[in-house]
This record gives sequence, C-alpha cells and structure tokens, in this order.
Amino acid sequence: MSVYRHDYRAYSGRVTPMWARVGVLVRYGLAEAWSSKITIGLGLAAMIPFIIFLIQIYLANNPATRLLVSRNNLRFLDVDAEYFLRALEAQCWFALPLMSWVAPRLITYDLADNALPILLSHPVSRFGYVLGKFLALFASLASVTVLPCLVLFVYQCDCAPPGWTMANLPIAFGIVAGTTVWITLLSMVGLAFSSWVKWRTLATGVIFAAVLVPAGVGGIFSAVLRTRWGMLLNLPVMMTQLWQRLLGVPEVVRTGRDWSLPSAAILAMLIAACLVCAAMLHARIRAREVVRG
Amino acid sequence: MAASANTLTNRLKQQPWGLWWLQARRLTRIEVRRNLFSWRATWIYFLAFVPTIILLIHAVFDRDGKLAMSEDTMVLAGIVQFYYIRLGIFFGCLGIFSRLIRGEMVERSLHYYLLSPVRREILLLAKFAAGSFSAILLFGSAMIADFALVYMPYGTVGHDFVFNGPGLSQLEAYLAIAVLACLGYGAVFLLLSMIFRNPMPAAMLVLGWEAINPVLPSILQRISVASYLRHLMPVSVPGDGIFALLTVETEPAPAWAAVLGLLLLIAVVLAYSCYRIRRLEIRYTTD
Repeated sequence: MSVYRHDYRAYSGRVTPMWARVGVLVRYGLAEAWSSKITIGLGLAAMIPFIIFLIQIYLANNPATRLLVSRNNLRFLDVDAEYFLRALEAQCWFALPLMSWVAPRLITYDLADNALPILLSHPVSRFGYVLGKFLALFASLASVTVLPCLVLFVYQCDCAPPGWTMANLPIAFGIVAGTTVWITLLSMVGLAFSSWVKWRTLATGVIFAAVLVPAGVGGIFSAVLRTRWGMLLNLPVMMTQLWQRLLGVPEVVRTGRDWSLPSAAILAMLIAACLVCAAMLHARIRAREVVRG
Repeated sequence: MAASANTLTNRLKQQPWGLWWLQARRLTRIEVRRNLFSWRATWIYFLAFVPTIILLIHAVFDRDGKLAMSEDTMVLAGIVQFYYIRLGIFFGCLGIFSRLIRGEMVERSLHYYLLSPVRREILLLAKFAAGSFSAILLFGSAMIADFALVYMPYGTVGHDFVFNGPGLSQLEAYLAIAVLACLGYGAVFLLLSMIFRNPMPAAMLVLGWEAINPVLPSILQRISVASYLRHLMPVSVPGDGIFALLTVETEPAPAWAAVLGLLLLIAVVLAYSCYRIRRLEIRYTTD
C-alpha cells in the first residue's frame, strides 16, 4: 500500500537517558549469558577454588588448627600476599573458559542473524551497543574474579587480629586493579573475536586459541632468539608478573633465565591488545546486512 | 568355520570396491581443495608456519656464532613438544575436522551429500582422509622447514649432524609425531563434532585433559593422544615449574607400542564414528 501522507514529525516527548539505553542491552546481555546451563556450570566450577581458599582462611585463623600445625612449622596456612596471588590466579584463569563461552553468545547471534541493522535502528549508537555487551561480559567475569577475591579479603579482615586490615590494604587495591585489567582485556578479546567468527560453535575455540597460541608463539620467539621480549606475547607470563607486582609478591626466577618484563612494557602491550580489539570491533559492528544470492 | 570364512571372503569380493574408491577420491579432492585453498584456511597456515618464520629470522639475522647446536636441538624439541602437539596441531585439527561434518550442518549443505547415492561410511572416511591429508601436509612441511632452518646455519657441522649423525632419525621421529598427532586429534574432533551440536566445550575439556595428563596416574595417561606422542620424542624436554614437580614419570614405552596404541585408539574412534554416522539425522531447525 502506498503512503501518501508525509507529515511525520520527530518524537518530541521525554527521551530515556543514554545510560538507560545501554542498561537495556546490559540487562538482556546478562539474561542471555546466564540462560545457558553451561554458563551456570562454569560459574559454579569457578567457585570451587574460592571455597577451598575460604576454608584455608578459616583454618589459618582457627586457634586449634594453628596449635596443631605450628609444631610442623608449615607455611601453607599463612594468609599473606602470596596466598592472595594464588587465589587471584585461580579465579582469573577460571574466568577464561567462562568468557570464551559467554562472549560468542552475546554478539555472534546478532551478527549471524543479521540483527545489527534492526538493533542499531533503535536509539542506541554503535559505541553504546558495544558498551552494553562489554558491560554484560565484564559483570559476568567480575562475579567469578574480583568479587570472590574481595570476599576472601574481607573474611580474612574479619578473622585476623586487629591491625591486619590496615597493614594489608594494598593487597585489596592490587586485587581490584589486577582483576580489572584482566577482565577488561578478556572482555575486549572475547567481543572482538566473537564479532569476526560468524559460526558461534567455532568462536569459543578461536577465543581460546587467541589467548593460548600467542603464548606459545611468544615462548618460541624467546627461546629461539634468546630474548625476553617474546614474553610480551605470552599473556599468562605477563599477567602473572603484573599480579605479582600489584600484590607485592617477590618474583622468583625458576629456570635460570630472567624472563622479567618491565611493568611499562606489559601495560603498553595490554593497551595495544585492547586497541587492536577495538579496531576489530569497529570494523565489524556496523548496520549492514549480508545477503547471499 | 572354513565355509563361513569363504562366505565372508565372497561377500567382500562382491562389494563395489571400485565405485567406493572412486567416490572416496572425488569427495577427498573436494574437501582438500576447501581445506587448503580457501580464505578460511589462512589461519591454519599461520598456526603451522609461525615457528618457521621465527626460525627464519633466527637463521638470517641472529647469527652471532656463539650458539650451541645442542641448545638449538633442545629448542626444536621444545617447539614440537610444547607448541605443535599442544597448540598448533591441536587447534589446527580442531578447526579442520570439526568443520567437516558440523560445519556442513551449520551451512546447511550436508543433506546434499546424504541424499546422493554414497555410503555414509565412505563419506565419513573420505572427509577424514581429506582432513588428515591437509593437516599432515601443512604441519609436516612446516616441521621439515623448521628442521632445515635450525641446522642449515651450522654449515658442514649441521650437514654432518643431519646426514652422518642422529639428525635424520630425529626428523623421521618428528614427522611420525606430526602424522600421528593429526590422525589422533582428527579422529577425536570428528567424533566430537558428530556427537555434540557445539563440540567446543568438549574440545576444551580435551585440551585441559591433555594439559594435565602428565600429572595424572599412569593408567589415566594412556587415554590421551599426547601421552603416546611423548614416548616418540627423540629428544625429551622436561616440564617447567610446578608441573615438573607433579609430573608422574611413566615407564618409557617402545616406539612400536606407542604407535600401535595410538593407531588402535584412532581405529576405535573411527569405527564408532562410522557407527554414529549411520544414525545421523539432520534437524536444521535445531542445528
């Protein structure tokens, strides 16, 4: 049917604020992410190390246990920066499979079903769309990284003698900074690679490969060219060194070679990785439709 | 007993082997072309040849003359043991073999094959052969190039090591490892892609299993592709860090036993895959 009347006017009523529109995407993103049983399974699996570390704090602050253990002079009950580093590493590595499962669910469906033109025709910008997806993923990852680690810290503060909290406050800052850097990077990598792999089932594997293969390539680079700079491609090594420094844990040289990297180089590499991911998202998140003849 | 054997032989002789061979060859050719000569395959080239590029840089620009050949031999062994087996071939085969059946389902083109007068087992085995051929060609040639680039800069000493020393036997062992790794991981991922709608979580479990395998008891180490390949390594590189402390050293198995064990594993997985594909149903609405 033809439309003859062209006296449409722009909506002049009250509009929702920008953050509220992004909030809609975050809400639906979280619902989509946690609607899968595998997501819930991965989230629960990530709680296993948290519970173990929680029990360790209880035992470390239990007078009877301390009395039993003190005879053997065992260090495993010490709750110090090294303990929180172990907890941080465990939680952060559990976030990797969660991210590689959740990220494709958030973005690949929209791209595969050519839904982006419809979504972006709503009053939300491309940046707002990516921000909404990013926040949904960030919140999901925060629930298995920063939150459990901070709960451990607060529980230790509650159990420990007075004065422990103030003396170890930098650990809490280290936990927040370390996990924030990690989950920001993971979220960017997850969204970027999900946007480029149209086949959702393959996207999970590609994200895993995007984290692990450069680590192997960096290791080869360092071993073949006898330089430590190859480790800048090795995400596990880089992040471990960064976390150690943020939590104030002394670095131990294990293999005779010093693979230690300057903090500035690590941060520059992480920022570069995020920028590459942003460029990948910029190239893919567009209101276009692919029509195959 | 003899009569039943004769009946079986006669039945086998009556099968249209010529037709099956022709169909398998055609299917293999189509799949090989897809695996090797498409834009989608470029990342597999990257996985296979990225160590070659690094070794090329080392051979051309990093010749300071103070490097020991024994150290480079260890580095090459480390590249094969830690990069190719655990990452390169693993992810390469994951991409190639999970696309063979599941990829066709996602692209909604598998029914064309299933509607054609081809036995499903022939289809599966031809696809497996094509995937194996592509993976072996890429990773095998990458390993040969790596080997050449490690020893070429040493000139006559390197030549002596390769042709008059243990070099050639080491190259043979690395190639055997590449072939067996491609076949082993290929068979596993082909089966996973038929069993699961999304084979990736299972593949990631396999990755985790292979990673923690050295710290498991020896009986559990046998249910792993990498554990068989470890016994074939001509130069063993010890693990590092906490894994070195936890590693359970198993009895070194003879090479023939390791090869036979892995081939048996591949045969069992392929036989089960043939059984599965007989009952394969496509529901594009849910896939």
